[in-house]
Amino acid sequence: MKPAPFDYSAAGDLSDARRLLAGGAAKPVSGSQSLGPMLNLRLARPGRLVDVSALPELRAVAETAGAVTLGAAITHAEIEDGEVPDPTGGWLREAAGNIAYRAVRNRGTLGGSLAHADPAADWLIVMTGLGATAIVEGPQGRRRVAIEDFAVGPFVTALGAEELLVAVEVPRPGAGASWGYWKFARQVGEFAKASAAVLLDRQKGRLRCAVGALGRPPLLLGDPEGLIEGQVSPAAALRAALPERPAEALVLHVTALTRALAQARGGEEGR
Amino acid sequence: MSGTTEVTLRLNGRAITLPAEPRSHLADFLREQHLLTGTHIGCEHGVCGACTLFVDGRPVRSCITLAVACQDAEVTTVEGFEEDALMGRLRQAFSRHHGLQCGYCTPGMLATAYDIVRRLPDADAPRIRRELAGNLCRCTGYAGIVAAIQEVLQDPPPAKLVPVARKSRNAPAVSPSPRPSPLRGEGAERSEAGEGDAAVTAGEIPDGVRLTRSLPVAASPDRVWAVLSDIPTVVSCIPGAALDGPPEGETLRGRCQVAVGPMRAAFQGTARVSLDAAARRGRVRGQGRDGLSRSGLEGALDFALEPLPDGGSRIDLAMVYRLKGPLAQFGRPALVEAIADRLLAEVGAALTARATGAEAAPAAPRPLRGLPLLGAAAIALIKRVLRRE
Ligand SMILES: Cc1cc2nc3c(=O)[nH]c(=O)nc-3n(C[C@H](O)[C@H](O)[C@H](O)COP(=O)(O)OP(=O)(O)OC[C@H]3O[C@@H](n4cnc5c(N)ncnc54)[C@H](O)[C@@H]3O)c2cc1C
Ligand code: FES
Ligand code: FES
Repeated sequence: MKPAPFDYSAAGDLSDARRLLAGGAAKPVSGSQSLGPMLNLRLARPGRLVDVSALPELRAVAETAGAVTLGAAITHAEIEDGEVPDPTGGWLREAAGNIAYRAVRNRGTLGGSLAHADPAADWLIVMTGLGATAIVEGPQGRRRVAIEDFAVGPFVTALGAEELLVAVEVPRPGAGASWGYWKFARQVGEFAKASAAVLLDRQKGRLRCAVGALGRPPLLLGDPEGLIEGQVSPAAALRAALPERPAEALVLHVTALTRALAQARGGEEGR
Repeated sequence: MSGTTEVTLRLNGRAITLPAEPRSHLADFLREQHLLTGTHIGCEHGVCGACTLFVDGRPVRSCITLAVACQDAEVTTVEGFEEDALMGRLRQAFSRHHGLQCGYCTPGMLATAYDIVRRLPDADAPRIRRELAGNLCRCTGYAGIVAAIQEVLQDPPPAKLVPVARKSRNAPAVSPSPRPSPLRGEGAERSEAGEGDAAVTAGEIPDGVRLTRSLPVAASPDRVWAVLSDIPTVVSCIPGAALDGPPEGETLRGRCQVAVGPMRAAFQGTARVSLDAAARRGRVRGQGRDGLSRSGLEGALDFALEPLPDGGSRIDLAMVYRLKGPLAQFGRPALVEAIADRLLAEVGAALTARATGAEAAPAAPRPLRGLPLLGAAAIALIKRVLRRE
């Protein structure tokens, strides 16, 4: 099938994009790797697309002592290839390399993926595990949104109709921090059926356990300490957090969390 | 709404300008307006890989890439590889190993295979299969395709098609500019490193080796800058280096021959140079490949020109590089440094000669004594460095 007709403009910079998006009728497009299929299937029928993939502000990278800020239009492949700094010393690169296929990673972007908010997507769960912050700009100016407040439902985010995701600020883990990320997909390059991310950063006091591909935004579990220390089992934690779901619907997620925890603990011992 | 706009791009090496409907994806645009039907369409949602082709030297899905989003891009379809030795070898290997039957998947398979050979010189069979996961074939069972790629990986000709540097990534990891970035994190201090000096953040090239040097040049900063800002001249100051053609904007293509003892390496690659004339500093990032040793090199370099009290100048260089493939086994940092220093001395002398109006030394490859492969690496590195990525 072919997309329904639409207008297209490539924005030159952020203020140009903001002007083109004013009114809320136009939709941003970045790598078109999620929007493209939806257009072809006519699942999406925007009247106008505003291409934000070359905006200097969205292609920027900034490093500070505490964090690395990656522009929303940085591609998965650029992260995979280490063309941009990875504050985690390789966790981002590894996650990027397992998204879709190289030809998709060459166009698909970090910001497009987060804004698309597919519950099974990689960046959403990875950034939730890392405690990242979304930097958003719209008619009311710039604001910061904690990543766990960014996705509010499947394919729904906290972005207003005229707002753009400009960048993602990823905090640098402290010395000795370790990480576990486990994604179950039936085939290389597919979206996850279940996923989990665990951050064990004692120096900065950040312990985070997140579970993804639940058909809803990532679940940030309330007692990471108990899970990491082994006082609470992954199955019990998931049952308590999602009491409405039958246990058999969570088997893969329990496995994902168990493995991500083991990876993170192993990483800590390995240091 | 939805009028037609014009798209200008380079298609298989030729500049074209044609009307495109915004909703046309690149595959339809090529097939229907150019009758380039080698690009096949299967699923039209990014899953099957039949439509895979190159945009700016990188494989992409043409069914989920809008034609209008390819303004000013370089598009290469399966029809555009007539003179490409690597693609020629892949075609032969595919036939020999029965890597195709009906041929529907083949254009996309070849594009992906080309990318695997170029990007992953050390890929083994499991890795090749992983990389091929995004290209579906209903006929062959994949074994022949994997065997064909493995065969070509043993001794691949250099890839003619290489990625073009991406547009506008301001404030990248190589960050010598003291200008505040619009994305500065709130509340966190910016590292002072890099202000005043050319500085390279090693994060730019993962696992990269860092090297910093100062190169004195006995000429005034004005004259040295005049030379440095003229890329072909700089390249001519690097022993063994040559451009394949005039620079295209900030992008250079070229080669560097290095003869080290009995060894010869010929790196071929691209570089991108950006210069800040006001601050008299610049940045070069490049990558290249030596088909003989099947090794790759990528490097980034920042340089800054400083006046010296005696009226001369000093070029501060900071670089990060990484070698891949067989050369990497030889390219231990200390050795590379030693060779880099020798080369830099030669480059410094040549730059001085140019800046003071003397004739440049002839730029034929001269054998540099030293450890064989290693040297090649270093050289390429530097040449890349000086020549720009
Ligand atoms: C075959 C295939 C397999 C895939 N497998 C995976 C996988 O395993 N894991 C995974 O995580 N992803 C996967 N993806 C999705 C891929 O990662 C996409 O690149 C990504 O989800 C979308 O990024 P994009 O830049 O292409 O966004 P687009 O498609 O351009 O945009 C997606 C949405 O985000 C909006 N948007 C884009 N940029 C902005 C912005 N800056 N501000 C506000 N809104 C914006 C758009 O309006 C649109 O609604 C797959 C895709 C394909 C085609
Ligand atoms: S037709 Fe493009 S991936 Fe299938
Ligand atoms: S050869 Fe027929 S689909 Fe691959």
